[in-house]
Amino acid sequence: MLLDAVGRRRRFVVFVVLCILSLGVLTDQVRAPDRRRAGWLAFAVEGVLAPFTAGLSRIGDKVGAARAMLTEIGTLHGENARLRIEVARLRAENAQLQEASKEALRLRSLLAFKQQPYHTISARVIGRDPSHWFSTVLIDRGAADGIRRNDPVVTSEGLVGRVIETAGSWTRVLLLLDPRSAAGVLVGQSRDAGVAEGQGQPMLRVKYLSRDSDIRPGDQVVTAGLGEIYPRGLPVGRVVSVSRTEADLFQEALVRPDADLRHLEEMLILVSAGQVAR
Amino acid sequence: MIRYAVYLLLVTALLALQTTWLAGAGIGGAVPDPLVILIMIVGLFHGPEEGAVFGAGVGLLEDVVTGAPLGLGMLADLCVGFAAGLGVRIIYMENVWLPVLGAAALTGLRVIVWVGAAHLVGLLQPPLLEVLRVVLLGACYNGLVAFPLYHGLRSLDRALVRFREESR
Repeated sequence: MLLDAVGRRRRFVVFVVLCILSLGVLTDQVRAPDRRRAGWLAFAVEGVLAPFTAGLSRIGDKVGAARAMLTEIGTLHGENARLRIEVARLRAENAQLQEASKEALRLRSLLAFKQQPYHTISARVIGRDPSHWFSTVLIDRGAADGIRRNDPVVTSEGLVGRVIETAGSWTRVLLLLDPRSAAGVLVGQSRDAGVAEGQGQPMLRVKYLSRDSDIRPGDQVVTAGLGEIYPRGLPVGRVVSVSRTEADLFQEALVRPDADLRHLEEMLILVSAGQVAR
Repeated sequence: MIRYAVYLLLVTALLALQTTWLAGAGIGGAVPDPLVILIMIVGLFHGPEEGAVFGAGVGLLEDVVTGAPLGLGMLADLCVGFAAGLGVRIIYMENVWLPVLGAAALTGLRVIVWVGAAHLVGLLQPPLLEVLRVVLLGACYNGLVAFPLYHGLRSLDRALVRFREESR
């Protein structure tokens, strides 16, 4: 009798069983580090798909570059004149910075400052998470190049995120904007410590800032280097607004990332010395 | 078996497209999702049971490839496949607006289930207005994309079914 009833309602039974199965998988994921545990499945699927995405990505880049060249020909003359002025200004600035650099070297040697030994590996983005809510990218370097889980990733503008999965020739990077991402940071001149969390939006939220600290829009946010993932002093972003109410124990700040995380093309992975593949 | 092998190839190609070219074709956070249209076709023409199973498989693959926590896309896509299969009872299958309206409604459903499940397990706390904006934009965008895609995918599905019947 029960079997008859199940047979009649088979489609709903299948639906309910699949729903329970997917919710079970999801709750297992939530308890995993980085809220994702794909294991062998990711390695198998990405192993097959990564070469295709890399190829498609390259074709897309070439088409984009050709289109950009066609549309930019008209603006190149003006751009050239502007760049000449910019070069002159940068030359002057460079001379000043070289002086400052020499001074910094002298002071560093006086303080016996030890720079954390990192090598950099450059990589190209070959795939992106198309969803609006999570932010990960796939890059064309992997464990074969010496990349390991939790290696920090940067661009020339600032911190991008960290490695969450890597295999032979591909790596998945969790961007700062992803809700699963969090980094210890220092804010402004006062160097108040907080935690920068992604929220699936274009801004980071820095939490647990002392309510007495003087934080203002425009303040620079850098990594604190307190955890074991990010080295100290990497630029993260700039404060856009600060929220502080009488009832709150802490104040919070919204921070715009320095790196353009929505339009990443190339990036650098910071790999501990001795970890790089020979 | 051949039908599923072709589906697998098609899903792989669409996933590669979705994480490369289509990911850069977003408007206000909404990107075209051709997989929803494929799941809709399977649900509409092969019933809710097959639609749900196919949706769950595609969703799981999508989760693996996009870097999302596994289970989110699986749940959302199985709901899409099942709902498409149930829709057969209430819609006129030859309606010219079926691809557009069906894809728009199912894309909206997918985003709602996806965000709702992520919220349920504490992964996301998105503002309601933001969710509504993405649901509406995504539904309109995918509805427009569905118009040319639907007929191509439908013809392929019909050819695969015919091939199976002839080879029996």
